[in-house]
Amino acid sequence: MRLADEFFLIAWDTAGQGKPVLHPQGAALGLAGALLGELILGERLTVQGAGLLVLNRVPVEDPLARDVLAQIVAAPEHTDVRTWLAYLAQDAAEGVGARLQDAGLVQRVESRVLFRTRVRYEATEFAKGAWPSLRLTMLLSEHQPMSLPDMLLAALVDAAGLLDHVLFEPEQRAPAREYLTTLTAALPPALRGLAGHVSAAVGSAVMTYRT
Amino acid sequence: MSRSRTPSDAIANALAANRLGVGAIVFFVMSAAAPLTVVAGVVPTGFAATGLLGLPIAFLVVGIVLALFAVGYVAMARQLTNAGAFYAYISRGLGRPAGVGGSWVALIAYNSLQCGAYGAFGAFGGPLVQKYLGVELPWWVLALLMWGLVGVLGVLRVDLNGRVLAILLTLEIAIVLIFDVADLVSPGPEGVSGAALSPDALFAGGVGALLVIAMTGFVGFESSVVFSEESRDPRRTVPTATFVSIAIIAGLYALSSWAMTVAAGPGNIVEMARKDPELPFTLAAERLGGTIADIAAVLLLTSLIAASISFHNTIARYAFALGRERVLPRAFGTTSVRTGAPKVGSIAQTVVGFVVIALYTVMGWDPLVNLFFYGGTFGGFGVLLLTTATSLSVLLFFARNPSGESAWRRVIAPILASAILMVFAVLATANFATLLNVPETHPLRWGLPIAYVVAFILGLVWALILRSSSPGVYASIGLGPQAASAQAGAAPVPPAGVKL
Repeated sequence: MRLADEFFLIAWDTAGQGKPVLHPQGAALGLAGALLGELILGERLTVQGAGLLVLNRVPVEDPLARDVLAQIVAAPEHTDVRTWLAYLAQDAAEGVGARLQDAGLVQRVESRVLFRTRVRYEATEFAKGAWPSLRLTMLLSEHQPMSLPDMLLAALVDAAGLLDHVLFEPEQRAPAREYLTTLTAALPPALRGLAGHVSAAVGSAVMTYRT
Repeated sequence: MSRSRTPSDAIANALAANRLGVGAIVFFVMSAAAPLTVVAGVVPTGFAATGLLGLPIAFLVVGIVLALFAVGYVAMARQLTNAGAFYAYISRGLGRPAGVGGSWVALIAYNSLQCGAYGAFGAFGGPLVQKYLGVELPWWVLALLMWGLVGVLGVLRVDLNGRVLAILLTLEIAIVLIFDVADLVSPGPEGVSGAALSPDALFAGGVGALLVIAMTGFVGFESSVVFSEESRDPRRTVPTATFVSIAIIAGLYALSSWAMTVAAGPGNIVEMARKDPELPFTLAAERLGGTIADIAAVLLLTSLIAASISFHNTIARYAFALGRERVLPRAFGTTSVRTGAPKVGSIAQTVVGFVVIALYTVMGWDPLVNLFFYGGTFGGFGVLLLTTATSLSVLLFFARNPSGESAWRRVIAPILASAILMVFAVLATANFATLLNVPETHPLRWGLPIAYVVAFILGLVWALILRSSSPGVYASIGLGPQAASAQAGAAPVPPAGVKL
C-alpha cells in the first residue's frame, strides 16, 4: 500500500463515522506530506532546508503521484516545501480518497445535511482499513525494525499530531515515542526535513486558529 | 487535482483564496480588546482607584506611542516565523535568554488579565442576576460559571463563531457610542469641559498610573501579527489592520472616557466613580432610561466572555509554542487529536484560574478592585514592559539585519518608540502605589513589579541552563512551532518573498 493511502486509513475512522479522527487541517497537511514523501521515496524529489527540489522528472506509475509531480515540475518558481504542503493539503483528502476507492479499499459516501455536503469514507473491509494503524502500533510498541517507508509513515503520523491515537494505550506511549525519536534521527535528511516541515505547518495551523 | 488556470497561477491563487483580509484581523484584535469591558469596567474603576482625571488624554497618548511602536513591530513581523509572540521578537533582538525571560513575563501578564475578567464577570453579573432572577449569588459562583465555560470551550477548541463575535462587537461599539452621545448632549454641572483631554490632566501627578490603565485597554493589539503568514498581502494587510485597530481603540476609549467626565463633571467624576462602580450605566440610565442601561449591562457580560475566550486561547497557544520549542515541557506542545486544541496549555490556564478564584474567595478579597482592577492593570503593566523590550529588540534586530526596510521603519520610529516606552515603564513603576491606590509601604507596591523581575530572571537562568544542557533546544528559542523544522536539521522557513 502507498504511503499516503496508509496515512489516510490511519487518520480516517473508516470503520465508524468515516470522518478524520484528526482535526481537518492536520489530516490534510499530513496527507500532503505523505504525497510528497511518496515522490521522495521514489527518488523524484528531495527536501533541502526549506526547499523542495526536483531530482528526476520521469513520471511515476501511480496517476495521483504523477499528477503531483507534474504540478511541481510545472511551477519551478514555487520552491518552498511549506508552499507545496499548503497547496497539496487543499485537495489531498479528495485525491487520496479517490485512489483508495479505485483500489477498492474504501467507499466514498456523500450525504446532505441541511445545506452542507458531508463526505464519508467507509472501509469496504474492516480488517484492511484498520490494518495500517494496527501495524504501526505493533511496530512502534514492540520496537521492531522498520523499513524506510514505515519510518517515514511513523514520523508523519507524529508530525501531524496523530501518534497518541495510534498508541492508544497510554502506557505504550513513552517507550514507543522514545523508539520513534531514535528512528527519526536515523532517517535520511530529506525525509527528516519533510516530517519537520509537516510538524511546523501543523503547529502554525494551531497558532493561527486554523485547526 | 487539475485546475483550469496555468499551474503556477493556480498555486498562488489557490493559496490566496482562504487568506485573511484587514477586516477579519481587526475583528480578531478588537474582540480581545473588548471595548465595553474597558469602557464600563476599566475606565470607572481607573477613575476611582487613581483619583485622577487624565485617563482620556492617556488613551490618546498611549495610542500614538503604540502606533509609533507598531511601525517597526509589523516590519519585523515579516522577518519572523513565530510572529505572534513578544518573546519571539525579544529572542531575536535582546537575545534568547531575554526571550525566555520575556515569555514567562508574558504568561504571568496574560494570566493576570484573564483572571481579572473572571472577577469582573462575578462583580458585574451579580447585580444583573439579582435584578432579573431575584437571587443573590456570591461573585465567585458567577466567576466559576464563566471559568468553566471558558475552560470547556478552550479544550474543545470551540471559538465563538466569527459572525456572532462580529455582531456582539458591533453592538458593543454601538452602545458605547450611544452612551457617549447621550453624555455629551446632556453634560454635567461643568458643561462640555475639555479638562480631561488637556495635557495638564495627564501630568497632574500619577501619570505612570494613567499610562498603565490606558495600556491595559490596548492589550490584544499585538496579536494582529499572528496572521502575518495567513494574510492576503503580508506587506500591507497586517500593518493596516494593526494601525486601524490602534486608532479605533484609542479613539473610542478616549472619547468614551472623556464623555463620562463631561456627564459627571470633571470635578465630580472621581467621587462618583468611587461611590458607584457602575457609573457609566447609571449615567446612561439617567439620560436614556433603564432599558438601554440593562442591555449594555448584558453586553458587558458577553464582552467579558468573548475577551476571556480570546485571552484563554492566546495563553494556551503561547504555552503551545513554548512546548514546541521544548522551553516548556514537551506535553505543552501537543494538541488534542480531534480538535487540534493546545489542550495542556488550555488545561493549565484553567487550573491557574481556579486557584486564583478560590484564593480570592477564601481570602474574601474584592472581585472588582482586587481581582479585576489589580489583575487587569498588573497584566497591562506586564504588557507595557514587554512592549518596551520588544521595541528595543526591533531596533537591535534591524541594526544587524536591515532587511531592505526604510530608515523610518528600522531606526527612527523604533528609537522614538523605545525611548518613550522606557520613560513610560519608569513612570509606571514610580507611580505603582497610585495605580493600586495603596500607601507606598504596601507590600504589593513593590511586590507586583518585582514579580515580573523575578520571572524574567528565572527565565534567563533557565535559558542559560538550556544553552549548556540542550544546545538544540537553545538554538530554536523563539521559533515556536517552526522549531520542528529547525530541530529536524532543516533551516528555518525563510521569510515570504525570499527564494532559496
